[in-house]
Amino acid sequence: MVQPSQSFVRNCLLSALDEAAYAAVAPHLEPIVLPKGVVLIEAGKPFEYAHFLNSGIGSIIVSTADSRRVEAGLFGRDGLSGFGGVLGVNQCPQTTMMQVEGDGYRIALSALRHACDQAISLREAILRYVHVFITQTSFTSLSNVNQAIEGRLARWLLMCHDRVTGDDIALTHEFLSIMLAVQRPSVTTALHVLEGSGFIKAKRGNITILDRDALIDFADGMYGTPEAEYRRLIGPFG
Amino acid sequence: MSRFFLHQDLGNGILEDPEGMEAADLATAKQQAIQAARQLLANAIMAGTKPIGKAFRITDDAGTLLLIVPFSEALPTDMRARPDDL
Repeated sequence: MVQPSQSFVRNCLLSALDEAAYAAVAPHLEPIVLPKGVVLIEAGKPFEYAHFLNSGIGSIIVSTADSRRVEAGLFGRDGLSGFGGVLGVNQCPQTTMMQVEGDGYRIALSALRHACDQAISLREAILRYVHVFITQTSFTSLSNVNQAIEGRLARWLLMCHDRVTGDDIALTHEFLSIMLAVQRPSVTTALHVLEGSGFIKAKRGNITILDRDALIDFADGMYGTPEAEYRRLIGPFG
Repeated sequence: MSRFFLHQDLGNGILEDPEGMEAADLATAKQQAIQAARQLLANAIMAGTKPIGKAFRITDDAGTLLLIVPFSEALPTDMRARPDDL
């Protein structure tokens, strides 16, 4: 198998690894294309692979037996799915799926664990990512209980913007309503408010970010801390 | 199942529902509209702002108006009265 050269890897976590860590993980990385909607980890079912994304966005979703659901966290080229494998589990109650198509590398959990045993700096890097991810979900929780839907949407769009190339994000109102656990007309209205302020341009199935700084102001302190933690502990991001 | 669109009457214009939704019948679509109005009103009240919409205009795929659901229908019955009526 051809090993991806570290300087060409677009996954920020992989490209921030030290030489020993990258050498331990690289031989086991298999390139993979990940279409929109593909499930990487199914709730309650054993999983065998972790996925480092180079592009696209994955969501970690929690749901009840009667299908009430909300997105607990998201990741893209900043991280990986299935870090539970490094924490010693191979099954979890959350579902991980691709919400924006992309590509990346998959790695068998057994190989990832072995690589972590070989290079302690690899394990440490992934654990720092786990910390950043928990920080993200903490702020999602804070945002969910403190912010009106417009502010939550602004924060969420910023998080997606960090993980796509360019300023366009392909998302339907229906999908946004599931991610934010609000009703579809609330998404339509919130997009209308953000658009009316000149922050975004919303077309059917697509949102264009026009004024990122204004969105950050509008998100009112709910955006930025997890991203700063990433830069402090791991490396460049977004 | 049929496709229904929940357009919002803003008073000075219409906020279009670009995607629509599947529902068993108009009564189900109305229930969804009332649920949605509850959230729109609650969100505005919590934020201390005025709701931008006043009513849902439910249409079919062809754009035919089937039903108007004023947001006030989402309020508890004894809160629907206008202050002047109290």
